[in-house]
Amino acid sequence: MSTMQWSPSARMQKLAKVVALLIALLFASTSVQAKDTQTPADDDPVLQAMRAELERSKSALKLEGMAPPYYIDYHVTDMDTHAAEAAFGALRTDVRLRFRFLRVVVRVGDYKQDSFFGQGQGGLDFMPLDNDIVALRHEIWLATDSAYKAATEALTAKQAKLKQFSVDQPVDDFAHAEPVVSIGPAAKLDFDSQPWLKMLQDASALYKTDPQIEAFDSALNFAAVTRYFVSSEGAVVRSGQNVYDLRIAGTTQASDGMRLDRSHSYAVTDIKELPSEEKLLADATRMLATLKELRDAPVADEEYRGPVLFSADAASTVFSDLVGENVLGLKPELGQPARTKGAFAASYKSRVLPDFLSVVDDPTLASTNGRSLMGKYDVDDEGVKAVSVSVIENGKLVNYLIGREPIRDFPASNGHGRARLPQNNPGPTLGNMIVRSSETSSPEELKKKLIEICQQRELPYGYYVETLGPQRVPRLIYKVWTKDGHEELVRGATFGDLDTRTLRNDLIAAGNDVNVENHPLNIPHSIVNPSVLFDELEVKRANANKDKLPDYPAPAVASK
Amino acid sequence: MKKLFGNSALFCVLAIFLKPALNGTPAGDAGKNDILIAAMQQELHRAQGDLGKLDPAPYFISYSVYDQDSAMVVGSQGSLINSIHARRRSADVIVRVGTAALDNTHEENRGSALTSGSLPLDDDSDAIAHVLWQLTYGEYRKASQAYLNVKTTTQVHAQEEDTSPDFSQETAQSHADYDDLSPAPDPQKLEEIARRYSAYFRKYPYIYASNVVLSAQRMRSRFVSTEGSHVVSTGAWVRLAIEAETRADDGMELMRFETFQAENPSHLPAEAEITARMEKMASDLKALRAAPVAEPFDGPALLSGRAAAVFFHEVLGHRLEGHRQRGEQEGQTFTKKVNQQVLPEFLSVTDDPTARTLNGMDLGGWYEYDEEGMPAVRVEVIKDGILKSFLMSRMPIKDFDKSNGHGRAQAGLMVTGRQGNLIVTSSRTTKDSELRQKLIDEIKKQGKPYGLYFEDIQGGFTLTQRAMPQSFQILPVLVWRVYPDGRPDELVRGVDIVGTPLAAMNRIVLTGEKIEVFNGMCGAESGSVPVSAAAPAMLFSEIEVQKRAHSLNRPPILPPPGFDATETKVGGRP
Repeated sequence: MSTMQWSPSARMQKLAKVVALLIALLFASTSVQAKDTQTPADDDPVLQAMRAELERSKSALKLEGMAPPYYIDYHVTDMDTHAAEAAFGALRTDVRLRFRFLRVVVRVGDYKQDSFFGQGQGGLDFMPLDNDIVALRHEIWLATDSAYKAATEALTAKQAKLKQFSVDQPVDDFAHAEPVVSIGPAAKLDFDSQPWLKMLQDASALYKTDPQIEAFDSALNFAAVTRYFVSSEGAVVRSGQNVYDLRIAGTTQASDGMRLDRSHSYAVTDIKELPSEEKLLADATRMLATLKELRDAPVADEEYRGPVLFSADAASTVFSDLVGENVLGLKPELGQPARTKGAFAASYKSRVLPDFLSVVDDPTLASTNGRSLMGKYDVDDEGVKAVSVSVIENGKLVNYLIGREPIRDFPASNGHGRARLPQNNPGPTLGNMIVRSSETSSPEELKKKLIEICQQRELPYGYYVETLGPQRVPRLIYKVWTKDGHEELVRGATFGDLDTRTLRNDLIAAGNDVNVENHPLNIPHSIVNPSVLFDELEVKRANANKDKLPDYPAPAVASK
Repeated sequence: MKKLFGNSALFCVLAIFLKPALNGTPAGDAGKNDILIAAMQQELHRAQGDLGKLDPAPYFISYSVYDQDSAMVVGSQGSLINSIHARRRSADVIVRVGTAALDNTHEENRGSALTSGSLPLDDDSDAIAHVLWQLTYGEYRKASQAYLNVKTTTQVHAQEEDTSPDFSQETAQSHADYDDLSPAPDPQKLEEIARRYSAYFRKYPYIYASNVVLSAQRMRSRFVSTEGSHVVSTGAWVRLAIEAETRADDGMELMRFETFQAENPSHLPAEAEITARMEKMASDLKALRAAPVAEPFDGPALLSGRAAAVFFHEVLGHRLEGHRQRGEQEGQTFTKKVNQQVLPEFLSVTDDPTARTLNGMDLGGWYEYDEEGMPAVRVEVIKDGILKSFLMSRMPIKDFDKSNGHGRAQAGLMVTGRQGNLIVTSSRTTKDSELRQKLIDEIKKQGKPYGLYFEDIQGGFTLTQRAMPQSFQILPVLVWRVYPDGRPDELVRGVDIVGTPLAAMNRIVLTGEKIEVFNGMCGAESGSVPVSAAAPAMLFSEIEVQKRAHSLNRPPILPPPGFDATETKVGGRP
């Protein structure tokens, strides 16, 4: 019942949560790109307001009889976004939204043990959009006051909870870090939407070429994100990033009801890198053709165990899921003895990949192989300078990506503490994860090797995976016939044992090709990797959900 | 649980966000050449023909398309916080499988009849037809699956108390209204107002948080059904909501709200009137900070017209909604009280969505057709204290087998019986200027030390489910102690009115003459809909109040920026 009560702070928090969730769903974020002449930092009203309130809070914020804050930071995220979506050749959504969010973290206690727990982790508020210093400061003032009070209560709650555990090797709550001052240009979203909206409509209108297409959508999410950060340690950061994400997606059903999906995303940091209308329509046409091929393709065999070749595109998903998620130095829940939360928690200094593969995460890299990288940044969201980190050397895990929340044996940040926009606390995150191989073969040689293995084991065919969907389910997978090397598209295949163990033990070769995949969602990052060959994997027929076909035919198209 | 909000930033933002939206103006202004409704009819006809051959076959299909143009602007401290301008077209497809006597909507399965989605913003017939087709075959699957469950459940369960059919028989409606009630929302103008008004509170250091929320919506609804109905109707509202908050030294959050609502921006009050109200909000908050905390109390009380109106909306109105009379989970306070006395005989209650204004004010609950395409009807629910009727959608209940045009819903949700303009009238009145004296007389008669005067409220909520106590809570913001011995009235804070519905309403002894209006958004199962409640001031022989739970956080430690004597000025106050 009390939840229905009218409390302003609860309301603002709830509001912020809702907005944040929607933003997260709707929009991607970021990467560097902005040309406008910028206000020097001293004249930036947002930074001025943040610094003025920080000074006031540092010197005077204290409750009688309670400890003052030992650390305060303010993080303002300014997002200017344009989202549009077209289906069946017509625009359904076209929204331009701008928000400014404020996150305030106040820590009481000390670096060893502090209040960063539960409600002490700070909250989210709206920040005025106008550069009116009084209004900006007013919001920061209110948020700081409630963050400090919450922190004071949270420290007591945390200490009470910690009494339930005995901790052998205590790890500090917060890492010391050198404060960085870095004033980059703010990001601007400045483009003419009309040609893009037309492209979306033209692409989605291609559904008319195939009456069995059930849905064909295209969408864009363009965003300019400027982040402002100041801390009581002296960090002052402004950085701008742009993200341009264009997507097409289609759905059809095979005659047995199997649902078949295809989608493609073009995510770049410079609008000039997006495809031309001609290219987009050609790709969309190709996608429609593969959907038709898939509809007519035979279903994968019940069982297969043998070699599988992954294109660099398909391998990108594998590395992202099985390596990327596990190299993050995420501190376990209070009282848990593990080193991290991931599957590599106990793998420090052990082999996690074949010894010819190495992995670095290099957020300082702006581009590679002629493609801009979305995981480029200079300073992370905790005010720490970005650093290239070698995480896996010759197959052996030698480091983790670390933010300012230390884990066992890793007391300092290596500049990978970034925040999901805009609602989450910063934590260890991928920047540009680059998988390199010391031995490489051309994709043709890899295909040859696949066939050789099949011959040795007297298998009639091997598998080649071109692209994967969510949960590492193949979207395009081909049988490669041993006898003549021809490729045959199949549908409804899934992997039985594609996991960190097979990645370590059964990956036998890598290509000399490179796929650059930009991921705009959640925290913008990039994965760079070659194609790979697995000596043995299980591929089985998916227990696919077979829907009924539509109960009546699609309406006839009046205009072509 | 239902809530009536006087206003709220949260509620409006939520409403807009949950219905993500878009820009331009609702299209199809030329009624003769309405491509959208033609596409709807053609696709409906095709669905009826093709799905009609299947088993189970739908016996009813309808398409509703809501073309909304909305803007929401929030200002605080003279700066813009949000400005959202959005246009959206959404379609609700309803499929009923089985028969009107028993269909897929039965009991808990009501949601199975509706699927909604976004439609193209432009009048592209092919695209509109494709989206409607997708929604329809998806909805048919959901409906037919639910119907099978309903058939099984009704055979397994004991016979229900109310054996009414699931859908009423009605005649097809035809109506086409393409007139725009209001100009398209102008975001720049709204932004300018939000900045100007919200800057007003900058000069008060004790007003910590404040917001000015301007929202405007213009909507055109199109409804077609396999019964042959064809209804096009329009609606519009603009709302200015102002909220200001402070905190007492004991941590109690104190707030004042003001809302101004009209069909058209030109009907809003003049700036002078609005700033005068803001001035009063500021002085009220100052007085509230210093006011003593109210003690639990049970005794005579006077409710202002607006307070009484919200009281009736929560305590009575929601319990008169038709669907609550047959739900097996519902408390059914009034179900078996038809033709019985439920209120003092001098009180009558109507719900009249056809009333567009009252005492010169636009009424928020005005509409011509409800969301089931039925014409709005003035319903006399209580006549001289005797219960006569309920607020009916097309879900029949025992002895009430027809809709009376109260089937309302927010786009995307299934209709239920809802209030429109709930208007309470009285035949035992006294001059409003004499009410305070009547309260004092009552205090003296009962020998109480004081009585309470409820000047304003922010809203309330009520519980109607069986599993919960049949109770309500009204959240007053300005409450005065009135003493019988000539002392001046004393403002108190932290009061909630509580009680049970039947007991509370029969303590009304007298009313004022002037009817006051409260416009707001009402939230319930079928979503958020604009409503009005109107009533005269009322004298209660007895009202129970409790202490309000509140935060224990102290007021801000530091003074607001610009009011801190110790700091150097950065961006000083005006």
